Amino acid sequence: MEGSNQRAGRLILGIETSCDETAAAVVTPDGRILSNVISSQAELHARFGGVVPEVASRRHLELVVPVLREALAEADAELETLDAVAVTQGPGLVGALLVGLSAAKAVAWANRLPLVPVNHLHGHVASLYLQPEPIEPPFLCLLASGGHTLLIDVAEPGGFRVLGTTLDDAAGEAFDKGARLLGLGYPGGAAIDRLAREGDSGSYDFPVARVHGLDFSFSGLKTALLYTVRDLSEDELERRRADLAAAYQRAIVRALVARVHEAAEQNAASRIAVVGGVAANSELRAALPEAAFAPLPLCTDNAAMIASAARYTEAVPFPGYLALDAYASG
Amino acid sequence: MLTLAFDTATGVATSALVRDGEVLGERASRAARVLADAEELLQQAGADPRDLNRLVVGTGPGSFTATRMGLAAARALAFALELPLAGVSTLAALAAGAPGALPVVDAGRREVFTLVDGAPVVAAPGQLRLEPGETCVGDGAIRYRDVLEALGARIPAGESELHLPRARFHAELAGEPVDPEAVEPLYLRLPDAEQAR
Ligand SMILES: [Zn+2]
Repeated sequence: MEGSNQRAGRLILGIETSCDETAAAVVTPDGRILSNVISSQAELHARFGGVVPEVASRRHLELVVPVLREALAEADAELETLDAVAVTQGPGLVGALLVGLSAAKAVAWANRLPLVPVNHLHGHVASLYLQPEPIEPPFLCLLASGGHTLLIDVAEPGGFRVLGTTLDDAAGEAFDKGARLLGLGYPGGAAIDRLAREGDSGSYDFPVARVHGLDFSFSGLKTALLYTVRDLSEDELERRRADLAAAYQRAIVRALVARVHEAAEQNAASRIAVVGGVAANSELRAALPEAAFAPLPLCTDNAAMIASAARYTEAVPFPGYLALDAYASG
Repeated sequence: MLTLAFDTATGVATSALVRDGEVLGERASRAARVLADAEELLQQAGADPRDLNRLVVGTGPGSFTATRMGLAAARALAFALELPLAGVSTLAALAAGAPGALPVVDAGRREVFTLVDGAPVVAAPGQLRLEPGETCVGDGAIRYRDVLEALGARIPAGESELHLPRARFHAELAGEPVDPEAVEPLYLRLPDAEQAR
């Protein structure tokens, strides 16, 4: 155990509540994860087929202190031994963000600690900087999740530049909506991934809109699936469900991979990385064998990535953060 | 005993530092600033968060998001400072600040939060049963002044502090502290998605 070493201090507590995961983690300055507690609300939102902001925010309030207590206990860390408190300031659901931010401010204030307000997107990128296999910039990063689909140029660990984004649905959202149309429940990404393995991806040809530049568009794909499903009888749908899942998944993965390759070429990127919930998709992982993928436990929203990003973000010293607000977009 | 009390549920967030019943200082600003206010109050009193003996938080009803900001801060402080926490309803604090008056908090959607026979409810302002000449206080009373005055209500001038749930009253009304996780927001409404089901 390196316990005594850890207790010497300089630990970062991360808190993340931007969407439907209530998460807290303790990370060392050199990027070792001492704890990474995630309380997923997926089951809570399943009956609505998606995240309901007010439902999520209520749950965050119930969970935020228990989760951060657990993160500290698992890391064998005391509040007094922390170096800083890191928290997601945005983008995300404002009501959800404000629960984590309020708790983070309170914990930091109680101990006169600095607070590090972290950009959630930077957090996803920083999931790549954690031990045991951290990668270093420069690289081109695809961030694909239920809330975001971005191509990002990462020149140094403290920053990022967005090259392209989705014009409508996020890739993870496309998975969720597709899963709903196929009667697979929520969250949809894992369900489609599983079912697609039993299907023939060539049995349907779903078109993916070609949009300008390095942007994405997934809403047409969802509509194509809707029309296909509508024209099938219940029996047919039952029989073809795996084929539909496979073809639908292939269309999303192809669109992502094509854009990644274009962006890599345009930016002369020598390295490609993939982060976010969709980075857990097995077909995407297989389609980009040369890319560095975020470790599976760090693909979905978590607080270790927020604490990781804090290592490259300027801290706000006490008491400058006490009136800090959250931001929804940006 | 040094008590920090705050309430973020309504448009104006209030805070107070109270020592053994004596109000050492009060602030009124907005929810995002409430800990900055608390820090100023402590500094003015030459104290530190570690000197606090008790926390009291307003539990609403009011804005869902703003109420949660106060609750999340209060619960996290109770955890970090190992302090007892008590919750006091925003309506009770308003009523204590204006004895005899009916507390009326803006609930959005053309409705208000108020007390009927001492119980918190959500209602359309035009449907409140008022005694002739009954005083109404709170941001809901200001917003629906015309409707309520037509029902016979008396409403103090908009800038009167009677309309604020002042945190000194939270400190005064606070009962025995409970488990911080048991201090819950008073929403009075389900999320829309639940209602639609
Ligand atoms: Zn995310």
